[in-house]
Amino acid sequence: MPFLSIRFKLTLWYVLILAALLISFSTFLYITLSKSLHRDVDNKLRSLAELIATESSSPLSKFGFGNIDQALEVSLDLKPIGKFIQVLDESGRVGRRSENLKNIQLPVSLQTLKNATRGIVTFETHRIGNVPLRIITYPVKEHQHITRIIQIASSLEDVEEALNKLFLILLITVPSALLLASLGGQFLARKALKPVDQITQTARVITTKNLNQRIQPLRVKDEISRLVDTFNEMISRLDQSFQQIKQFTADASHELKTPLTILKGEVEVALRKERTPSEYTQILESNLEEIDRMSKIVDDLLWLSKADIGEIQLQKEEVNLTALIQELVEQMGLLAQSKGIQIQITHHDGLDEIRIYGDALRMRELFLNLIDNGIKYTEEGGEITIHLQKEFPLPIQEASNSSDGRKAGFAKVTISDTGIGISKEDQKKIFNRFYRVDKARSREQGGSGLGLSICKWIVEAHQGEIEVESELGKGSSFIVKLPLYSPSLNPAL
Amino acid sequence: MRILVIEDEKKVSSFIKKGLEEEHYAVDTAFDGETGLEMIETNEYDLVVLDLMIPKIDGMEVLRRIRANKNNVPILVLTAKDSTEDIVRGLDAGCDDYLTKPFEFKIFLARVRALLRREKMDKEPVLRVADLTLHPVTHKVMRGGKEIELTSKEYALLDYFMRNPNRVLTRTMISEHVWDYHFDSMTNVIDVYVNYLRKKIDKGFEKKLIHTIRGVGYILSPDRS
Repeated sequence: MPFLSIRFKLTLWYVLILAALLISFSTFLYITLSKSLHRDVDNKLRSLAELIATESSSPLSKFGFGNIDQALEVSLDLKPIGKFIQVLDESGRVGRRSENLKNIQLPVSLQTLKNATRGIVTFETHRIGNVPLRIITYPVKEHQHITRIIQIASSLEDVEEALNKLFLILLITVPSALLLASLGGQFLARKALKPVDQITQTARVITTKNLNQRIQPLRVKDEISRLVDTFNEMISRLDQSFQQIKQFTADASHELKTPLTILKGEVEVALRKERTPSEYTQILESNLEEIDRMSKIVDDLLWLSKADIGEIQLQKEEVNLTALIQELVEQMGLLAQSKGIQIQITHHDGLDEIRIYGDALRMRELFLNLIDNGIKYTEEGGEITIHLQKEFPLPIQEASNSSDGRKAGFAKVTISDTGIGISKEDQKKIFNRFYRVDKARSREQGGSGLGLSICKWIVEAHQGEIEVESELGKGSSFIVKLPLYSPSLNPAL
Repeated sequence: MRILVIEDEKKVSSFIKKGLEEEHYAVDTAFDGETGLEMIETNEYDLVVLDLMIPKIDGMEVLRRIRANKNNVPILVLTAKDSTEDIVRGLDAGCDDYLTKPFEFKIFLARVRALLRREKMDKEPVLRVADLTLHPVTHKVMRGGKEIELTSKEYALLDYFMRNPNRVLTRTMISEHVWDYHFDSMTNVIDVYVNYLRKKIDKGFEKKLIHTIRGVGYILSPDRS
């Protein structure tokens, strides 16, 4: 596909449309004029024929004698210049003729003669020599009989000359007008499209390195300025996501560098001289710890990048949240006990089981992470409370009629600890990737800095919400809201 | 030589301390910027190793405050931030050297030696007073062509003496530059070690190098009798 500029296409269309208009106009003009001129000739011929016929039929007429030109001049005071007159008898034999005919006979076809004997007037065009002639054949009736036939011819040379002149004028003016129009059209198109060229040039130089560049906004508000604005907004969004990726990459590499530094440093220091077996054991154990930490970070990173590109498929089904949390608490009980932390579950709605629609595996991951966090950041002898309840944003009868899962209510799980708490400032960022309130503490606990980002992703993939409420030194509450199970949600049923 | 390591990652701090101590340096550690600054104000360090991402007071701020206090202690920044801008910013804020994590421990030690040498007028890597020489890389101490075996503390003590020849060193100065934070300067440990060192350095040589300045401290000088 060759490059066709909009300017070229616009001009082409413009010229084509104009050409069609001009050509049809010219054709119409030519035809109309031609018809009108021919009709004029015919009318003149007919009136002259009628005049001669009337005159020749009159009893006082001198038409019967002498030559026609004289007779016309005498009786009608008429000098028909450029008209050739010929009178035939009823059988078609040529009688008198005007002098200007000299020895030329006006042609009479058989058909014309037949028409004339029936009293019908005929118009014909004949070419005699190079001269086009318009001929009227007019029968003269006297007492119901055709007595004579008058033929009058008029040269069409003037008419043809006028038409030819018109044709010539149109032939010159139409193409010149089109040429001018195409130049003007190109000029206009270029003027209108000039900002587009500027946009193209700016867009061409923008790469990932200079995403802070913008196209100069136009002063006048029009379609192009809207394009410029849209384009600039798009670059802004790109810039923003690039910054995020950059930050994320920097964070990820920093996270991985810390265990690498430890591994490298410890081993290098150890290798500087002979050590006792117990020292070697200690170093290897520490190395193993760092390797585990790196594996966890890499696993979590992989998980999140898979989630980001939509490779994590949720297997949604009916999940008994009450039972799942009960099970997790039993599982985590040992870890909590070793720190002297109590975990308890409370229900708002008595012993009613809460069922949600979700991926059981991810739900397990989500609540395991949150309970584990609670244990990590709670001092010895602390307490973790998991509160389960159902919440309905609308009156129940209305909600149960609704087919929308969210309106059907949601499960609210609050995981509260009596731990160190999170400051207001940190609360905003706590779900950000690699964000850590206390870097050293988090690392000591073996965290990857990605746990809460994963939790957030899981909750949002379930059309739920997660938020945190906390007071420094008093503890934190993580509140998770997930849509309740309703049969309408399950496409399998 | 006494070094302060400001690094919040305990394991990193711990292997740096261990590695430096095995090279006979006295090492103190701080896990946040605030403690680090306090320690710099109360003690005289020969070198500070500083991580940039530390809690309470950020590393860059620590750097600025040290320099704002007209403290010219050599500072080696040790950080995972490895972009060109970060390195330039760090050096411009007043650090003397910049090493990115993960780093090669041998290079780290070489840079420490280079920074400590920078304080001297004489840039020769081998320390020399009269016919006594000390090699900071190999830790070899020689006098009159004979090698002298020293313990770690004796070596550290001699190292400090040789970096400050012909200068009276008080017991406080010695305790500050040779021993770490946990040293109780009220004991007579310094006198004991100086005597050990004197026996190994001066015994059997006509010219004595270590001299006692009564009531003040000691001096290492070839020009005293």
